[in-house]
Amino acid sequence: MFENILNAVAAGLIIGCIYGLMCIGLGLIFGIMKVVNFAQGELLMLGMYVSLYLVAGFTAIGFLGPYAAPFVAALIAGPVLFGGGALLHRFVLRHVSGLSTASRQDEGGFGQLIVTLGISLILQNGGLILFGSTPESVLTPLSASAFILGPFPTGALLFLNKAQVFAAVVAIVVAVVLWLVMERTTLGKALRAAADNPVAATYMGIDVDRAYRIAFGLGAAITAIAGGLMATYLSFTPFVGLDYVIIMYSGVVLGGMGSILGAFWGGLLVGFVQQASTLVLPPQLQNAAIFVVFLLIVGLRPQGLFGRSAERA
Amino acid sequence: MLEVQDLSVSYGGLRALQGVTLRVAAGQFVTVVGPNGAGKTTLFKTISGVVSPASGTVQWDGASLLKRPSSARAHLGIAHVPEGRQVFRTLTVQENLEMGAYPRAGRSQWARTLDRIHALFPILKERADQLAGTLSGGEQQMLAIGRGLACAPRLLMLDEPSMGLAPAVAETIFDRIAQIHKEDGLAILLVEQRVAEALELSDHGYVLDTGRMVLEGGYQTLLADDRVRRSYLGLGEA
Repeated sequence: MFENILNAVAAGLIIGCIYGLMCIGLGLIFGIMKVVNFAQGELLMLGMYVSLYLVAGFTAIGFLGPYAAPFVAALIAGPVLFGGGALLHRFVLRHVSGLSTASRQDEGGFGQLIVTLGISLILQNGGLILFGSTPESVLTPLSASAFILGPFPTGALLFLNKAQVFAAVVAIVVAVVLWLVMERTTLGKALRAAADNPVAATYMGIDVDRAYRIAFGLGAAITAIAGGLMATYLSFTPFVGLDYVIIMYSGVVLGGMGSILGAFWGGLLVGFVQQASTLVLPPQLQNAAIFVVFLLIVGLRPQGLFGRSAERA
Repeated sequence: MLEVQDLSVSYGGLRALQGVTLRVAAGQFVTVVGPNGAGKTTLFKTISGVVSPASGTVQWDGASLLKRPSSARAHLGIAHVPEGRQVFRTLTVQENLEMGAYPRAGRSQWARTLDRIHALFPILKERADQLAGTLSGGEQQMLAIGRGLACAPRLLMLDEPSMGLAPAVAETIFDRIAQIHKEDGLAILLVEQRVAEALELSDHGYVLDTGRMVLEGGYQTLLADDRVRRSYLGLGEA
């Protein structure tokens, strides 16, 4: 029993770090643009396929060898989806979000709902046409091997999947870099200013439309990197986003909408709960366990774990 | 420097501004006074490009501003300190000032302007790492003005800086504005409901009422005008 708990907790923390990164992508888009993006799961999916084709399809980075290539491919999926996200904003989302809709009654909310759902469907079915429905994965020799730690008290051994461990390390590094960019650089501060008060940001000379485009691109890139990392230890089809969009929303809401650090901790918590629940529940009920915890936390702390409840007027 | 010519603005059929003309020369202190709903904020928003006019022109250094995006104003040297302060509440005081210095001119003179802002408003130095949303109203106003100064502007537009402030605090704000004008030689365009204080500071004043400029002139001219005395200063006939 102790061995099971130990392994579930460790797996939860490792998977949680990757979920945390995935959630930051959604949290960035929501926090800065106030857009509820239903297509975020598909950005994750695209990250997986970009990574897959980089490694297997084009063998473009084959020289890196089977160990490093999948992780480098995941990182390259970031810039690729940054471009894709920026284009999506430029030609589609710009018309239903930002300053152009600020004066509308619902601030473009209904338009965003329909448009992002539509993008999600197009990407799912477009993915089906382009990539096919065969489950794929970006396997590395690491996927099937484990670090074995221990023995711990009672002789328990801890097995850590190597692919997951490296994916979690990369996820943490990417999350920290992004956090530093948001906190320390002029770009990050300008993005936060545009999120806080778009009109005042315009008065400061910040091109808010461009800031939103960068935010959407960054959000897409971060989730895509998480997708590329996840591709090293699970199999996926063009519909994989459906499973994860719910997890992303839970993480972002738990962390407190609009807080980037919060989104990471929220994702970590969701991953942890998901893995820990396998100790007492059948795997099919993993997501049910997430939602029980979700409802409990939101019931007790509606602003989320890291959200600000009130500010001085 | 700034020339507004024959400007008209409508909101859904309602005329907010009608044929408004106004000039601010380099280093000049110009005040626009008028009651609530006279169109003062609309005038500012039109100059800043947030609202587009039905007709008329807005020129800066002889070139039209109306074709430029709103975000270009700060880069051209026009700082807008908006009504209701509008500080970035979730950013620290220091980060707010840094955002004010976003345009190139602001960045290149950052060290000097920051010293100047801190000299004018020492509280902003003390509170540098505090979130702007936690400041008092007066402190937020100081931050909003400091943030405006951070882009090293040639024109500082102030929209009702005394709004919602206690009289003593408002007086401090007016003193600082006068000091900025005098010591830095900065042109100032001020919109105010506190007519007496505002006109006293300025070289030239305009009276805006229900979207029209009804009167303009120097401090003495305006104060001598019966309409100004009766409607805005609560005084009897001269």
